[in-house]
Amino acid sequence: MIEKGKISGLQMAILLYPTVVATALLILPATTGQFAKQDMWLSPIWASLFGYLAVMIAYRLHHYFPQETFVQYSEKIVGKFPGKLLGFGFLFFILHTNGMVLRDYGEFVTGNFLKQTPLIVMIMSMAFVCALAVRGGLEVIARSSQIFLPVFIVLFFLIILLLIPALNPKNMFPVMDEGITRSIRGAFVPSLWFSELFLISFLLPYLHEKEKGLKWAVVTTAFIMITLVTTNLFTLLLFGDIASSFTYPVMDAARYISIADFMQHVEAIVMAIWVTGMFIKICIFYYVVVIGTAQWLRLSDYRPIVFPIGFVLVSVSMWSASNLQELTHFTRTSWTFYAGLFLIVIPIVLLLIAKVRHKFPKKQSH
Amino acid sequence: MKWLMVLGIVVVAILMTLYEWPKINKEQKREKKAFVVLTAGSVILAVVLVYFPAMPGPTQLVDAIFKPLGKLLEQ
Repeated sequence: MIEKGKISGLQMAILLYPTVVATALLILPATTGQFAKQDMWLSPIWASLFGYLAVMIAYRLHHYFPQETFVQYSEKIVGKFPGKLLGFGFLFFILHTNGMVLRDYGEFVTGNFLKQTPLIVMIMSMAFVCALAVRGGLEVIARSSQIFLPVFIVLFFLIILLLIPALNPKNMFPVMDEGITRSIRGAFVPSLWFSELFLISFLLPYLHEKEKGLKWAVVTTAFIMITLVTTNLFTLLLFGDIASSFTYPVMDAARYISIADFMQHVEAIVMAIWVTGMFIKICIFYYVVVIGTAQWLRLSDYRPIVFPIGFVLVSVSMWSASNLQELTHFTRTSWTFYAGLFLIVIPIVLLLIAKVRHKFPKKQSH
Repeated sequence: MKWLMVLGIVVVAILMTLYEWPKINKEQKREKKAFVVLTAGSVILAVVLVYFPAMPGPTQLVDAIFKPLGKLLEQ
């Protein structure tokens, strides 16, 4: 096997949590609020169903091919050439999405804090740090995530705690005045973020205890759901109807915090949460691209291609959109179908074909 | 100004090669090929992007394919 490191089930959960939460935390309330209005806190609950679905598909496929990742088993399921094509499409999708995530990170930091710094500097420095982590292997990413995640969670709770005095519970009413359809429409975009959990296809083969993989993946999906419901609920109770008109509602919520004219400017904490979360998210996507490309090209080692792929990643990230508005619009419209195709539709089709092939095995021709 | 950026791209590519090349074993021919092709490709892409930053890219490609569906989500 190309990756020598092994991770535990808990470490996998720790890696997955920021992979979804990092981007969702800041942008989600605006995206869901647009469709779901005051029911936006319900949307992540529906969306998490897709998370469970993605986890189940990845786990069933893992069951048929225990030592292999998506790129490897797609070749075995649909044949060499179509499998290679699918693998390429998937890697292209992950690379492109990672470029968009990196761009999002760069735009956020330059737009809110380091206004004089060129975007390319933010993007290159993040890509470089991630390249070092990815070059170290899965264990290194898992351990750095283990260090960062407690910081992430403590800071998140601090923000939540400081916001409590400013909340207005009346903003929540009327609950479901038009039935649940509105909250389901709001769940559409976040459900594709939950589908990113399909990436466990690239982590499951490297687990110590195989049987615990599913349990931890389900636990982490539940925690992601709880976090996102909390975020949406708090932005809703704070801002009411206008929550969806901000680009980064959580950021503006943190700007709002002012206790006795003493505790102010805590938005720096949001920045810290975002940077640590984004680091892990970009690392996981980057790692998937690197390990997938190495398997796609049948290399014996993935380390030589880490830096070249990082280089491509920076280019793709600069290329992906000309500005933040364009990027956000793309993420909210075409990207959802693009992601749905690669993270839900293709895996389901592969799983069905694998099932059929498993039931009626081809006769060996000797 | 643009030639300076191109110079920067080439310098990064050279540094990458200097760091990585001695670490690849002599027998690992495929790895060497992959490294050369990926590095050359990324340098070319980066240089082209310096001169034509508005060149249509993957986002436009995907947008063209999924636009009819994407319209459903616009409000």
